[in-house]
Amino acid sequence: MSDSGQVSADREFQEGMEEETASPHEVPSLPMGQWLRKNLFSNWANGILTLLGALAALVALRGVLNFVFSENRQWDAVRTNLRALMTLSYPESQYIRVWVALGFIVGLAGLSAGIWANWGGVSVKRISTWLMGTGAFLAVCVIAREPSVIIGTDGKVVRTVEGSPQRESFMDAMVDRSSWWIAAVLLLAVGAGLWSRFSGPVRRRVEVPVTSVVCVGLGLAVLSLWIAPYGHYAFISATKSYVAESGRTVAFSTKLPWTVMWILLCGFFLVGRSFQRSRYLGLIKGSSNLLWLISPLTLFWVVLRDPALDYGHVISTDLPMGLAFGLLGGALLWGLTRTGIGEAGRITATLLLGFAVFNWVAAFFGWYPMLQKARISFLLLALAALLAPNFIGELAKRRQLVLGWIGVTALVHYLATMINTPSTVELQSTEFLGGLGLTLFVALIVVLLSFPLGVLLALGRTSKFPIFRMLSTSYIEVIRGVPLISVLIFFSVMVPLFLPDGMELAELAAVLTGYTLFSAAYLAENVRGGLQSITKGQYEAADAIGLTSAQRTGFIVLPQALTVSIPQLVGQVISTFKETSLLAIIGLFDFLRVANSVIPAQSEFMGVKREGILLVAMIYFFFNFTISKYSQRLERRVGLGER
Amino acid sequence: MSIDDATTAANDRLADRDDMIVCVGVDKFYGDFQALKGVTATIKEGEVAVVCGPSGSGKSTWIRCINRLEVHQAGDIVVDGIELTNDLRNIEKIRSEVGMVFQQFNLFPHLTVLDNITLAPIWVRKKPRAEAEAMARALLDRVGIPEQAEKFPGQLSGGQQQRVAIARSLAMEPRVMLFDEPTSALDPEMIKEVLDVMKELARSGITMMVVTHEMGFAREVADRIMFMEGGEIVEVGTPEHFFTNPTEDRTKLFLSQIL
Ligand SMILES: Nc1ncnc2c1ncn2[C@@H]1O[C@H](COP(=O)(O)OP(=O)(O)OP(=O)(O)O)[C@@H](O)[C@H]1O
Ligand SMILES: [Mg+2]
Repeated sequence: MSDSGQVSADREFQEGMEEETASPHEVPSLPMGQWLRKNLFSNWANGILTLLGALAALVALRGVLNFVFSENRQWDAVRTNLRALMTLSYPESQYIRVWVALGFIVGLAGLSAGIWANWGGVSVKRISTWLMGTGAFLAVCVIAREPSVIIGTDGKVVRTVEGSPQRESFMDAMVDRSSWWIAAVLLLAVGAGLWSRFSGPVRRRVEVPVTSVVCVGLGLAVLSLWIAPYGHYAFISATKSYVAESGRTVAFSTKLPWTVMWILLCGFFLVGRSFQRSRYLGLIKGSSNLLWLISPLTLFWVVLRDPALDYGHVISTDLPMGLAFGLLGGALLWGLTRTGIGEAGRITATLLLGFAVFNWVAAFFGWYPMLQKARISFLLLALAALLAPNFIGELAKRRQLVLGWIGVTALVHYLATMINTPSTVELQSTEFLGGLGLTLFVALIVVLLSFPLGVLLALGRTSKFPIFRMLSTSYIEVIRGVPLISVLIFFSVMVPLFLPDGMELAELAAVLTGYTLFSAAYLAENVRGGLQSITKGQYEAADAIGLTSAQRTGFIVLPQALTVSIPQLVGQVISTFKETSLLAIIGLFDFLRVANSVIPAQSEFMGVKREGILLVAMIYFFFNFTISKYSQRLERRVGLGER
Repeated sequence: MSIDDATTAANDRLADRDDMIVCVGVDKFYGDFQALKGVTATIKEGEVAVVCGPSGSGKSTWIRCINRLEVHQAGDIVVDGIELTNDLRNIEKIRSEVGMVFQQFNLFPHLTVLDNITLAPIWVRKKPRAEAEAMARALLDRVGIPEQAEKFPGQLSGGQQQRVAIARSLAMEPRVMLFDEPTSALDPEMIKEVLDVMKELARSGITMMVVTHEMGFAREVADRIMFMEGGEIVEVGTPEHFFTNPTEDRTKLFLSQIL
């Protein structure tokens, strides 16, 4: 066989591949009737099961609808308390902080979505089926719901002689619900219109980008705030009450910020997408990851702390000290990495370490005062000096060490200054932030922080160094052997002891620490599962082309391991999000607790619980369903790279 | 030309070359089991050495010791003047000079063909991306699959994957290429395309050490054939010598089974 034979073999193979990949799309779409017959009524047993199932679903639906629309429901409790459900009593004068925090996350999410993903499209035909499905569902709901009770002129329910409430006739009910009918018919009509235009053989594949659909959907939701003044009432901080005041609905007070959020999301998405063709894509991706990593700190800062800096002190002490450590330390390290340094380097480093340790001892016995910042800096400088021998030689390496040192010094001094300064955010007890705001805040921070920690633990547990293996394994096993509640309680008692003065967020800081440490252990196990699925051949191939072990981990092992463990990782994210409801136990007012105990304690809505809890459940479901859908898309997208 | 003449001729051709791989008394143990028993051999610069022998004879073990995928316990291995010790810097240096092609290809499934090839040049050799990509495309052209650059390994046939693996190794511009049964996992119709690439490589003058059962390939391009059994090198010779007049009984037995 000559070269031409080989080429034709290749071509045959490719054609085979194309057919294979194309085939899933080619499921011949049967006409409705045939589809029904094939899938649901293929024989009479199947048909009976189908009918029974449909009947059961209908009964359940009717139950839910009757519950929601019952004359006994007090939806005002929820409408009035929307603000409380979102942030509880976060001071209104400081509310801008919440929006800034949200804006930061929303913008970052948009940016990442733009940079990272090719989101693909959804066919117009698919959208038309959604629309028709929603319309049909709405129609079924309208019919399935019991006719309403009749309210008499005295405002009370009219009752029959036996005492059961009297209901209007079916026809009257249908007429009463005409606006629902209009909505249902509209959806059906638009859906059917799109269907008939886009189900032909030529236009079947017409697609619109998923991102456009999401953008338009969110845009419509925001627009509705400007049109319908729902929410009815808002929290009025002046009177510290949740009760009505006309013209101050939730929609009214949040429509502008939400519009800004929408613009941020879409705007940053476009910005991110414009980077996709950029030469600096790698750099930009790296920076967006870094932003995510530091975002917990940012959120914490924006929402909770606003240090009242004393600029006299900053200029006279903090700044000079930072500069001195950065520059003098840098110069020292530069000297320590000279080629001919030899033993002198090691001696200097050892002396420095001795001095740094002595400082702590001295502080412990109170021999001489030295700022804690300085003690930390000396210790870090000693460690850097010990590392210096690894950077001896080329100019680039030496520069790396010195620049790294200056960066670390800047960060440490900045943080130390900020943490040691009392905050100006005036908090009214520990329940300053609550509701969905607190739940999302905690969930986001815990997920973001426990992710890198979990990956490190997993790498430690599979490391070839016994000490790392032992430490990670015992950490993971200890944490996994302890219930979350006990971890939270332990930290809410312990962490306040270590916080510097002026930091008033004991409870929350405790929760974030404890929950992050807890979640990281579970995450580590999920990632370890992924790590174990990487074959020995991958390690060997990476070694054979000369990658260092850090490069091997970062480029070859982790990307594949994380891809494999996406389903477990998403499960972990979802359960982290849901289990934030345990925060209630250590005294924080999370989303569920607001519905479960804050609203029912208000004098206007004494004991009204079910409405709030139903809403909370629906919102939890909405978030988790979105996450899970997103992860399915992610899995499909990265599935291309699988074997 | 007699067989002895041929052997001498081959040796003469290589005689004035520098040593590329020198193994002296290499021992390798897996627990109590000794997989290599004092392996001693020298491979010259530009030589194509084929290693063959029955299953379990230690061929893979030996070739993997040469770029330190396995650690030998006794004896010396020197590659291009660098001795393999526990010094990480030496190992790094050797690995960037020695390419290896595996039986199971071991491509990185989450990276495109192009990224598979450019990864090491960019991160180990610190080449600019554009330059690395240009070289990768040239290499893909050389192994005959220029049109597959943007695909993922999972979308390629076995033969194509192995050619990508060869290109990936070549991208580091190695002075030595090691092949461990590069065609054993391939369907018969794809073996040829890989062997063709390897023959072209052999002609280009790179030092090659090939573990294979493809005796046709050995006969055509090998400078020397080494026969291993039980962790030892039993016989070494030119292909003419090896196929027509082997001295050892074990070699004869092996050849009678495989040919
Ligand atoms: N990781 C290991 N642990 C224990 N024994 C091993 C290991 N790897 C190889 N061996 C043993 O060492 C011997 C040599 O194995 P090696 O893989 O080098 O053989 P080979 O000549 O390459 O055989 P094949 O042609 O089947 O690939 C075999 O007996 C094998 O069982
Ligand atoms: Mg083998």
